[in-house]
Amino acid sequence: MKAEVTYTDVELIAAISDGTDLNRAIQFIYRQHAEATSSFIRHYGGSEQDADDIFQEAVVAFIDVVRKGKFRMESNIRTFLASIGKHMWFNELKKRDRSEHRNRQFEMGRAQNEPDVAELINEIEQKKQLRDLVESLGESCRKILLLFYYENMTMKEIVHHLPYENEQVVRNKKYKCLQQLTGLIKDNPAVARQMQEIIK
Amino acid sequence: MMIDHLDENLRGRTTATLEEIIGNDPEAEKEWNYLCLAVDTVKDAGLNKQVAAARAAWKAELETATTNADYHTAVLRSIPATADATNGSTNTGNTRVRTIYRQSLRAAAMILIITSSAAIYKYVSVSSGSLYDRYYNGYNVNTSRGAGDTDPIVEAYNAKDWTTVRNLAATAKTRTNQTDFLAGMACLEQKQYSDAISHFEQIIAVNTHAGTDYYQDEAEYYLAISWLAHRSVNEAMPILEKIRGDQQHKFHDKVEKMSFFDLRLAQYKENK
Repeated sequence: MKAEVTYTDVELIAAISDGTDLNRAIQFIYRQHAEATSSFIRHYGGSEQDADDIFQEAVVAFIDVVRKGKFRMESNIRTFLASIGKHMWFNELKKRDRSEHRNRQFEMGRAQNEPDVAELINEIEQKKQLRDLVESLGESCRKILLLFYYENMTMKEIVHHLPYENEQVVRNKKYKCLQQLTGLIKDNPAVARQMQEIIK
Repeated sequence: MMIDHLDENLRGRTTATLEEIIGNDPEAEKEWNYLCLAVDTVKDAGLNKQVAAARAAWKAELETATTNADYHTAVLRSIPATADATNGSTNTGNTRVRTIYRQSLRAAAMILIITSSAAIYKYVSVSSGSLYDRYYNGYNVNTSRGAGDTDPIVEAYNAKDWTTVRNLAATAKTRTNQTDFLAGMACLEQKQYSDAISHFEQIIAVNTHAGTDYYQDEAEYYLAISWLAHRSVNEAMPILEKIRGDQQHKFHDKVEKMSFFDLRLAQYKENK
């Protein structure tokens, strides 16, 4: 029987940075850390769906931070993920206009050794809005852009995956789709302006 | 043009023109930043999808474990516990056995799910078409020019002008194996697989008749590839097996690296 792969924190960060077996690393994160963050959210009034959604965002944010080389190991991974999850849930509670009493309980629950993730939480919220723009593209546009820019497929490989006649047709479609997405981003100047500061 | 530069940049190839454009034109720089942001957004969306898939797999794993645990707890509860004269109770032993049993079943179920999924994916994804895409590579013609000696069909081939190659082959006064071979390759590039097959078979027939071997290895290999593209693995297999068995064949190493398991799987599907 093949054992599940396990990672130390250092090994996990290396696996994410390297990117060759990202699926396995993500599955490990879920097996090891999902319950801790999710149980906190459920304890503070979140549903299972809330907990799952927020943990997913936390994992995406964590991977992004690691890939940009900004994870400093000031806290361990579990604490980092839990901190993101808590702050996101706190923001969500504010949006849902829950009682002051519940918010106060949350504030007292924060540990002193938690990393400062306030800026990251803002970035996550903004990225969610930008991600919605990708979702608003048609399915064919979304697929082409994801296959080319995320899966790093060549045009030849994309032709095999999608029902287009040849590489030139795919290239033209990709060009139009990227222009369309750029246009949508430009039409959200508030989001784009803030993101421009972040990507510099 | 800026998107082309962006794509080149992402593939690790920087271009001097790009730096000129962005360095000298604030509007171009702004456009560049928006494009980079758009690409970053796509990558973020892709990562989100990948994590969502992992989340779904984790939830499925939890549900499988819960279902198995519930079922086997119910089964075990129906078995009356027997008193142990030595230590007076079997409760601790039964709990350990149940835990190990539950964990083993969970692991076995996961292995079965993963193996089945991989087998199903393999069965569904392998086809003669996908094998053609995997194994097809273009052919480079060596050009050795003498003084004033240019072969139009070779020039057209190197320029990837497939239509001209085919026209020249069709109207050539003297039809050679090279003419047929280049025409066959042009047909392959234009996805005219039946015509490609005809050209390669012609080369093999001429060589058999004349006792020559000019472009023989090339014709055999690309004939097999054409049959794959034509979704006729049964026709391709004997040729590929012949090439694999012939260490002196120019394409022996290439064919050796092919997955004959996948080829046989595609053949099995074709014969079903």
